[in-house]
Amino acid sequence: MDNTVTKRRMRSYVIGFYLLLFASWQAVITLHWAPDYLFPSPAQVFKRLYELIHDGLLTPSIKATILRMAFGFSIAGAIGLVIGTLMGMSTIAHACMKSLFLGLQTLPTAAWVPISLLLFGLSDRGIYFVIVMSAGPAMAIATADGILNIPPIFLRAARTLGTPLFMMPVRVILPAALPSIVSGIKLGWTLGWHGAVSAELIKSSVGLGYLLYMGRELNDAPQVVAIMIVTIIFGLLLDRFLFGIFERRIRKRWGLLKEQPV
Amino acid sequence: MPGKNGGNGSGALELRGVSKTFKAEKELRTLQDVNLTIADGEFVVFVGPSGCGKSTLLNMIAGFDAPSEGQILLAGKPVKGPHPDRLMMFQEHALFPWMNVLNNVRYGLRWKYPFKRKRQLERARELIKLVHLDEFEKALVHQLSGGMKQRVALARALAPDPKILLIDEPFPALDTMTRQKLYGDLQSLFVETRKTIVSVTHDTREAACLGDRIVIFSGRPARIRRILNIDLPRPRDLNDAAVSEYSAEILKELEAEEKNG
Repeated sequence: MDNTVTKRRMRSYVIGFYLLLFASWQAVITLHWAPDYLFPSPAQVFKRLYELIHDGLLTPSIKATILRMAFGFSIAGAIGLVIGTLMGMSTIAHACMKSLFLGLQTLPTAAWVPISLLLFGLSDRGIYFVIVMSAGPAMAIATADGILNIPPIFLRAARTLGTPLFMMPVRVILPAALPSIVSGIKLGWTLGWHGAVSAELIKSSVGLGYLLYMGRELNDAPQVVAIMIVTIIFGLLLDRFLFGIFERRIRKRWGLLKEQPV
Repeated sequence: MPGKNGGNGSGALELRGVSKTFKAEKELRTLQDVNLTIADGEFVVFVGPSGCGKSTLLNMIAGFDAPSEGQILLAGKPVKGPHPDRLMMFQEHALFPWMNVLNNVRYGLRWKYPFKRKRQLERARELIKLVHLDEFEKALVHQLSGGMKQRVALARALAPDPKILLIDEPFPALDTMTRQKLYGDLQSLFVETRKTIVSVTHDTREAACLGDRIVIFSGRPARIRRILNIDLPRPRDLNDAAVSEYSAEILKELEAEEKNG
């Protein structure tokens, strides 16, 4: 079977699926199965989306959320990497912190919002706090697991070739654990994105979460759904394209990637 | 005391009363009072029943593990920890997948000639040429065949010019043709570079083909049962009649050990 043909066919199935989804959504409203003031039609949603862009409300909000993510996520990544490396290299640190981080990970990201309000009030620092607490544990655990799963033979090869102990983390341990670290970054980004939008619901005057909140305040269901869709699209874009491509590249270079059917 | 190969004058490796005991649930003695002097430029092969501790001995020479009793000396100095003077090649190639061929071969040179990039690259290229992989300098590890990977591993191990090359099971997971070619390469490298090589194997024919001296170990706890000198010119072929004869003799010794043990 020709691979490109099946791929193309699969793509048309996916496009067909979305067309069908939007068509049945529109049909539900047009046939008055659901009241349109509660449940907007796709037409209303896209109209509202156009207005939001036209009025200059959407672009600054997307920018604000992404910038907050960029900053908060960098902090989360740095902390996660350092703690994860420590956990990967010391069995004591691992034993102590793994359960703590697994525990923290069970908290829904939105559950960090109340404590961040208490600690930081209505400032942006509170949003960064939520992002760090949402994304950090996942990245620390992925880094630690990546290090613990390094084939011992790499470490022994590095030692017999004369690597000084203090150079082991930079030269061998982190590169060997990189595929796992990148998966952690990807997961962390998703969790951080959840956290950022949750925090913006309450704490902000700009951002995707803020527009969601305003939509609810104004009983503007089309806006709420429109912003949900935008949030999904940007979350997906950054996850699949930015980190997805990076992850794929690394897995390919490390020889971990077998041709996968997509 | 130079070996047949002439040697590079860096001094012999001495094992003095080396024993190893592992403390698991009960004490497990794997090596018992091993005394052996390996001369400069000698190719010594350890053979013995599987699990007898010959790999443990190799690990101790490499410095990954310390003897429970006795001493290992290189040029009169006790061995402490891993050092590229006693460089180990592993059963699997153990190449770093995040580096290309050139950087893998260059890796040990980073520590031998720190900050001398030009010198590192020159030496690495020289070794890559020696194993006939000049065209694959930029290739990634997963793009190479099994035999090529082992040749890169060999180049990487030889690059820092170790006094002793330790080989744990040379080239196991390869087809016969490739192995045979690598045996040839290894022997010509041995003759050209005058390295001291210590290798572990359970393949008696391989031992007879490669070694100047074959150290045959008993079952656990391993003692030296017999040392066999192989007086054959190089390069030897795996299928030479004389190699077969020596191989049969080693095998006979191992079978006798099995019966007693």
